[in-house]
Amino acid sequence: MNILQVFLDYASALVLPAILVGFPLYGMIRKVRVYEVFVEGAKEGFNVAVMIIPYVIAILFAIGMFRASGAMDFLTDLLRPVVGLIGIPAEVIPMGIVRPLTGSGSVGIILDMINQFGEDSIFVKMAATMFGSTETTFYVIAVYFGAVNIRKTRHAVPAGLIADTFAMLAAVYVVLLLFG
Amino acid sequence: MLNYIWGGLIVLSLVFALTSDINDFARDTYRNDAPLPVTVTFEDQYSPTARRQPLRLEISDSDLIAHYGDSSMTGSTWEGMLLQTSAGREIRFAEGVSLPEPLATICNETGQGDCRGALQGTPTGPEWRSAVTFAPVRWVKMNAIAAAALSFAETAVTLALGLIGGLGLWMGLLKIAEASGMLHALVRVTQPLIRPLFPQVPKDHPALGMIVLNLSANMLGMGNAATPLGIKAMQELQTLNETEDTATDPMVMLLTMNTASVQIMPPVTLVAIMGLQINQLFFSILITTGLSLVVGITAVKLLGRLKRYREATP
Repeated sequence: MNILQVFLDYASALVLPAILVGFPLYGMIRKVRVYEVFVEGAKEGFNVAVMIIPYVIAILFAIGMFRASGAMDFLTDLLRPVVGLIGIPAEVIPMGIVRPLTGSGSVGIILDMINQFGEDSIFVKMAATMFGSTETTFYVIAVYFGAVNIRKTRHAVPAGLIADTFAMLAAVYVVLLLFG
Repeated sequence: MLNYIWGGLIVLSLVFALTSDINDFARDTYRNDAPLPVTVTFEDQYSPTARRQPLRLEISDSDLIAHYGDSSMTGSTWEGMLLQTSAGREIRFAEGVSLPEPLATICNETGQGDCRGALQGTPTGPEWRSAVTFAPVRWVKMNAIAAAALSFAETAVTLALGLIGGLGLWMGLLKIAEASGMLHALVRVTQPLIRPLFPQVPKDHPALGMIVLNLSANMLGMGNAATPLGIKAMQELQTLNETEDTATDPMVMLLTMNTASVQIMPPVTLVAIMGLQINQLFFSILITTGLSLVVGITAVKLLGRLKRYREATP
């Protein structure tokens, strides 16, 4: 454990309670009718959740079908020679493909890899770094844009995928640099 | 672009599933309707009248290899039950047995909760040389994609409805923060840092405060809080949007910062999987996520200059 980690550990444990108590407390000091205002805001939660349903259905069902079709195996085989040229091991390709698509799928891949290679394996370190440094891009797009009914996403998808692709490559090189 | 990716995922699923099924068909992967030689041993004496009797089913290495043409297969002995009806004799494998591929797939596809096959001939003694025929297996992947589409659509609703509690809580707290002037103070303090990334948002606008809260929650690995805060930020940005359905530049920036992820703390899920190992990975994740965030921001800025995206600016 280093200093930064200890600090962050404390911060993330204390921030939430501080907000939960601090916001209403400060509101009371400023003579806000906190209960009434809270309920007014919380009303929106239901509407937002219902509003994003069509967007999340659209994204998840397409991704679910894609996974079930066995496309991952095919893509892994297709990418193997290409990424081999730039020093990416074939073992981490599935993680690179699945990570932007589904969170639960990528958890499954890490667990499989731990079973297959062991926790200390460099491949598991690469996959875990990929997992930790990116997000489920398509799900985030569906939820965030769905909540405000945005359908024309402009450059959000290409920008997100550029960042994801870069993170996948960087994860391999950074792990090689630190542990290789 | 999302239209193409979305359509592409669906069409590709069909193409891959069809390819795989036609391949199975051509190679007859599951040896549909062909009997597989087995040796049946009865635990007790065989009785021609008993409707069900426990048995053991042995399949030898050489029979399996010859039948399925896969030299890596190894045979074994499995527990099961003999079912006798007027229609004939069937073997039902005991629940939870582990069968080698492609037998496991055959059982998954044909058995409604149990795995059974028709036995040939009549038992001759305590040890009976017979052959088992399973129900024919076709269109494995086509069935799989149809089932996946439905089950993921249901998952989507569960996920979305699961957000209601967190959304309600945070939306309520944020309303208090707004009414108490807290958010305004946060905007004033942080906008010199954050506005360069969101130049189109007017000075002192509450959207900046929501963005700061969303990014901070992300950094601390508080995924449950980050989503409602990000949605609230999007709603604030939407009030500045002149169109109803087109993303503005600040929206694209906020979204990319979220998908590229800005966390300093590794996500809780990963900590749970990796255990102590996570300490070693702290820096590799920090470096990678930092670099990819910079790349993401640069990509948004550069892509935003392209003619097709610039012209679509609301």
